[in-house]
Amino acid sequence: MLRASVEANSETVDLNAIVDGSVSSGIEHGAELTAFAEVLVTHSDELPAARQAIVDLMGEGALVDAAGTVANFQRMVRIADGIGIPIDERMAEASGDLRSQLGLERYGSATNTVRAAGA
Amino acid sequence: METFTFADVAIAVPDRVTDPHRKVWAKRAGPGSWWTGAERIAIADESRRALDCGFCAERREALSAEAVEGEHDSGGVLPAVALEAVHKIVTDSARLSLALYEGLVADGLSDAHYSELVGVLVAVFSIDEFHRGIGAALEPLPEAEPGDPERRRPSGATMEGAWLATVPADALDPEDADIYGGGRHAPNVVRALSLVPENVRTLGDLHGAHYLSYDEMRIMEKIRELSRSQMELVAAGTSAVNECFY
Repeated sequence: MLRASVEANSETVDLNAIVDGSVSSGIEHGAELTAFAEVLVTHSDELPAARQAIVDLMGEGALVDAAGTVANFQRMVRIADGIGIPIDERMAEASGDLRSQLGLERYGSATNTVRAAGA
Repeated sequence: METFTFADVAIAVPDRVTDPHRKVWAKRAGPGSWWTGAERIAIADESRRALDCGFCAERREALSAEAVEGEHDSGGVLPAVALEAVHKIVTDSARLSLALYEGLVADGLSDAHYSELVGVLVAVFSIDEFHRGIGAALEPLPEAEPGDPERRRPSGATMEGAWLATVPADALDPEDADIYGGGRHAPNVVRALSLVPENVRTLGDLHGAHYLSYDEMRIMEKIRELSRSQMELVAAGTSAVNECFY
């Protein structure tokens, strides 16, 4: 969806930023947003500072959106990994190259897709 | 007493967020398809206890979680097999596996009980994460309501590639016809919890509350405070930290 959104909005993004914190995504305030996501997911002591950075740069509404998006995907990853679903065919076709580029096959949950394909 | 007022934070939380949160809280209190109201509240309570569970912390750090012996910090309401499922899904989701799921089933947890357990815990856990994200105190859990579970298994449930049965869009019972929005196709992650249809309704409500409704997902222009690309960067970052392939 990230690639679809940047293409739809004629933006340029380095998708390696998703898995490599030293890479700049090119998205406005991307570093602060990814830092916020990481410290919220890991329940780090750095969360208050990351939260304040979002408010200072983008406002309270942006914090609501960022917290909501993290909350949504904290739920979705646990559904996907807890039920053992494979990725959808259309999604696999559209993102296979990107998954390889980012090395996502090393994640344990990749076996759910491999298993379903071989079933 | 009014819930989800966010009175402790000076942040305006829109109704599109608070209303579905209240709806989830009301539903959690009553009996579900397979668990009683008291058990559903216990599942929610354990999703909170798991974050401070010493046994979970030790296993998460271990190369092989199963090699670590100990007991979960628990409220003592849920059977051990359900306790294990809740704590594992909350604290170590990247290492969930078919073998672990099959072990839970062998220990007496039915596929339908497991589906509802996942649905209850992810709803409450994600609402709690939203609270932590904006710096608000967690909402107190509601009091359990009496009553018996419905114990209805969808007639069209079948194995579709996940670890447990799900319901294809063309095999829904009449009373569940709404759960995929009337469409002929639903993505795997939407069908994932369909062994308990109420799970799917809750998932849709919270998707719109926290992120975008299914209809809004087709809109790539900015419709929130964050641009769509900013939202997707946060989403991708969250999935990456969780090591989720999906």
